[in-house]
Amino acid sequence: MHVDTSTSHDAAVRMQGPGPLARHRQTLIVDTPSTFRQHVEPDLIERFKRGDLAAFESVYRRFERAAWTLALRLTGRRDVAQEALQDSMLKAFERARQFRGEAPFGAWLRKLVVNEALMQLRHDRLHIIEVFDEDLRGDDDAPPPWLLADAAALDRALNRLPDAARVVLWLYHVEGFTHIEIAEQFGRSTSFSKSQLARATRRLRELLIPQVEDTPCTTGSTTTA
Amino acid sequence: MHDRLDHHGMNEDASLAAALRALPDERPPPDAWPQLAARTRRRRTARRILWTGLPAALAACAALFIAWPHLALDRHMPAPVRIAQSPAPAPATPSRPSVPATGTSNLVALQVSSTQWQAWVQNLDRNGAPLDGRALASAVTLQDRIGLIDLQLSAARNPATVADLWQQRITLLQQLGLLHLQPYLVAEQARPGRTIPM
Repeated sequence: MHVDTSTSHDAAVRMQGPGPLARHRQTLIVDTPSTFRQHVEPDLIERFKRGDLAAFESVYRRFERAAWTLALRLTGRRDVAQEALQDSMLKAFERARQFRGEAPFGAWLRKLVVNEALMQLRHDRLHIIEVFDEDLRGDDDAPPPWLLADAAALDRALNRLPDAARVVLWLYHVEGFTHIEIAEQFGRSTSFSKSQLARATRRLRELLIPQVEDTPCTTGSTTTA
Repeated sequence: MHDRLDHHGMNEDASLAAALRALPDERPPPDAWPQLAARTRRRRTARRILWTGLPAALAACAALFIAWPHLALDRHMPAPVRIAQSPAPAPATPSRPSVPATGTSNLVALQVSSTQWQAWVQNLDRNGAPLDGRALASAVTLQDRIGLIDLQLSAARNPATVADLWQQRITLLQQLGLLHLQPYLVAEQARPGRTIPM
């Protein structure tokens, strides 16, 4: 499998922590590549660009899980994610001639999925930007609860975040977008991206704390969305 | 936040990224591809209709434009309400006025043209993309107006009025056809311009 390290490099550069941490971060990214980072044979891309429906199905089958997962994580709703998946795949097929091979095919497709997911969110929910309640503060000194939470709990908490916060969190941490790239996607400033990320992280922590604490007396003290 | 280490020796960002990346990939609904394939085929069919139907429509418009002076029709389009008004002067004979030979052939030409336009519109309606709300409302209005003209045609006696009505019917059918083509025209115009920055 071909691993595109361009975004990994960006993400590693972005992380200005101590050396071992940066190396650890880079290792994490390379070891768990997004499934968009797949090598696609030039012949398949050529047939795809010529409008071959069989090639379209091959490309779809290859990227369906990555595209669906990304659309689902960004939108938080299966019906909206399905629209985003279909629209992005259809656009990829109909605009395949615009792909010039300057970036990996998967990165080009991923960009389409992100664009479509955001478009669906804008279309579906006019108030994509939600204001966080500044009074909601978690215990910043406690260990990150996502280390203890299982996948289902983390998934649920992620879906309870406001749309913009969830999108920023996912694009930054998983897809390796920089704050500048995220700001461009939203048409906002990098400060917006940074503040959404910080608040989303804090909110995620708050949402996950009741999931990992065993003592019943603490469950009532946390605020949920 | 970035530099703070947790008890696993990772900073908060890295641990959150790791946790999010560890979430399992999801599988799309099984009917996603069949739906997408069907949608792709529909769009291809619609595009084919556009590229074969539009030149034919434009050619028909051009032919109509060229033939217009020879049709010897009153170019002024009477409003539909005029038909409802009683004819001003009493006819010379109580019977239905005879249609001159040239007038009859022109009327037949208009009827044939109307039939062809109608077939084209019906084809677009059956095989084209569904109309959005606003276009659908316009289409309903046009269809209503065509229905009204059909009603007026059934009652009209004056050859000039009949010819005018047929001409109006054709114009409305053309407008209806263009309404069906509009989404494709917009989509085609948008295609080359929308590049994806990488």
